[in-house]
Amino acid sequence: MMKVQGISKRFKLYHSPADRLREILLQKRYHKDFLALDNVSFEVRDGETLGIIGQNGAGKSTLLKILSGIVIPDSGTIHIDGKVTGLLELGTGFNAEMTGLENIYMNGTLIGMSRDEIDRKKQTIIDFSELGEFIHEPIKTYSSGMTMRLAFSIAIHADPKCFLVDEALAVGDAYFQQKCMRKIQDFRASGGSIVFVSHDMNAVMTLCDYAILLDHGKLISYGIPRSIVDLYISRICIQSHTGEKAVALMDTKDTLNNHSNISTGEIEFDSIRILDSSKTVITHVHSDDEIIISFSFRSERLIEDPIFGILIRNRYGVSIFGTNTYLLHQKNNPLLPGKMYQVSYQFKVPLQPDDYLITVAIDNKGKAINSFDEYLLRLNDIATLKVVRNEKQPLYEGVTNLNPTINVEAITNGVS
Amino acid sequence: MDGSGAIVNFSLIVELAKRDFIERYSGSALGFMWSFIYPLINILIYMVIFGTLMGARLPGMTSVWGYGVYLIAGLVPWTAFVNTVQRSSTVYLDKKNIITKIHVDLPTLPLFIVLSESITFFVTLGIFLGILLVTGFSFSPYLALVPVVYIIQQLFAYALGFFLGMLVVFLRDLKEVVTIGMQIWFWFTPIVYVFSILPVVAQQVLIWNPALAFISAYHDMFVFQRMPSFFYLSLVTGISVLLVLFDYFLFRKLEKDIRDFI
Repeated sequence: MMKVQGISKRFKLYHSPADRLREILLQKRYHKDFLALDNVSFEVRDGETLGIIGQNGAGKSTLLKILSGIVIPDSGTIHIDGKVTGLLELGTGFNAEMTGLENIYMNGTLIGMSRDEIDRKKQTIIDFSELGEFIHEPIKTYSSGMTMRLAFSIAIHADPKCFLVDEALAVGDAYFQQKCMRKIQDFRASGGSIVFVSHDMNAVMTLCDYAILLDHGKLISYGIPRSIVDLYISRICIQSHTGEKAVALMDTKDTLNNHSNISTGEIEFDSIRILDSSKTVITHVHSDDEIIISFSFRSERLIEDPIFGILIRNRYGVSIFGTNTYLLHQKNNPLLPGKMYQVSYQFKVPLQPDDYLITVAIDNKGKAINSFDEYLLRLNDIATLKVVRNEKQPLYEGVTNLNPTINVEAITNGVS
Repeated sequence: MDGSGAIVNFSLIVELAKRDFIERYSGSALGFMWSFIYPLINILIYMVIFGTLMGARLPGMTSVWGYGVYLIAGLVPWTAFVNTVQRSSTVYLDKKNIITKIHVDLPTLPLFIVLSESITFFVTLGIFLGILLVTGFSFSPYLALVPVVYIIQQLFAYALGFFLGMLVVFLRDLKEVVTIGMQIWFWFTPIVYVFSILPVVAQQVLIWNPALAFISAYHDMFVFQRMPSFFYLSLVTGISVLLVLFDYFLFRKLEKDIRDFI
């Protein structure tokens, strides 16, 4: 259990460190203030994983440093029962000239293990790292993957109550990563909590139970990862919008309480429907059938180069498929002021039976993937697409049906 | 969490000291042996050059080895002292890679240097005593007090090193000043010369030099075979304790800034 209350951290920016001393001695101000964290509070319960997202300079790293005790906050309290170990300090104090085993002792001591504890655990650590006899070789002979394996192995065996993870776990090959993920799952199952900082939104949505969004040191929102990620993306759109009329978060009352929808108010959304190929409204679709998603709106002004996007996501918020007319190289006619329009997306749904959520967006003038001059409207999870099993289709594993044909034939000239 | 901190930190100090000592010669064939070879050669050189070749004699002493013993008895502890102060003064910058990644208790961190330098000191001392044994030097019972004097000296070195260490974080140039300062201090301490040859004025100034207290204590124990002046030693101990207390007070005020600046 980790309880963080009202953490603030102000960095004083000095021209040179000597100015700090001058300031103390002369009682004169020689610095500029930079507020890295402003009254941030949250809680991470046992076994819970909290994701921290935010743009560069939002205060994520400062927060991690405060949690690990490297930086001291100006105000606020942190309550942690148990040891905190950061995966950001993987391999801290490793010395290339010394053997893996000697480094287990150094790094292990640094992350708070006693000598006895290391004596007891070193064999488990070596076994987990799968370094075998290499453990008696200097680390300089290791590949970077081997070094990371050893470092992770020490960290996970230090028995922390809380892990601080900065960015994705790039530990060794795919096989070892799987092994690490399993170990981390065990750690969570046994009540360990994780604080996870990442720019990988899919990782945050799949790994975390909750997430917080930081912006310029302030905690903007706390909630389930998918809604926090949506809010984050919407805020980025708001920032990169260059249209005359500003794009802003929509009032939650109008949008089924989804707090991350954005609009400039220049597109008036009317309705969205899910239809089958014969254009009748349906409540669910059979896997592999064709559907039409159709929404209507009114344009309040001239939109020169409109782009229509659609995104299908699973219940965790992970994208299954998304595209837009810009990416499809489809040029649309300009939208005229005061006119009603209907946009229909028609496609097959080769998806595993489940509930999927539909997001639609209208933008103006595309520049690149997910980058436009104007973000006119984005409605997150505006409709649910319920996919049920299609009795005509075979069972399969995974997300999508790739419709394979499988051939088996005897090789006549085969040598055995 | 705080209760176990002290114990864990102790093992960290030991681990750092051990590594510090091993690292110096890691990768070399003779490894650890070098830490015996260096002092052995040095001591032999001093003894031979000053004793037999140059024929330097201590005032009022006839022994061939007298001046060599005097020089080494002062130089070996001085080296430990200087190294401890100098290395402690840059410890927070040198160990930046650890401090900025893991929570480390900063006030106790310089202790690994104190410990590591002590290993060097006692190894050298052992070799010195071995050589003295061979030359038929008469040992005084006061030599048993060497560890006590050494502890007082290192307490002073720690107090000073910790103080400088905090300042160097803010004033990086200070470490050069420390190096020069230690050079000057060396010549203001009777290590290569004898206190009594100085003019009275100089003696009256030098009496305020805290290093004089422990350096002359070593001279007393090794060369003059008499009880060291515990008045001066306890004075230095008192100063050290006060300085350590002041250090902690200063540290509590500066810790946040120190961690931000490193």
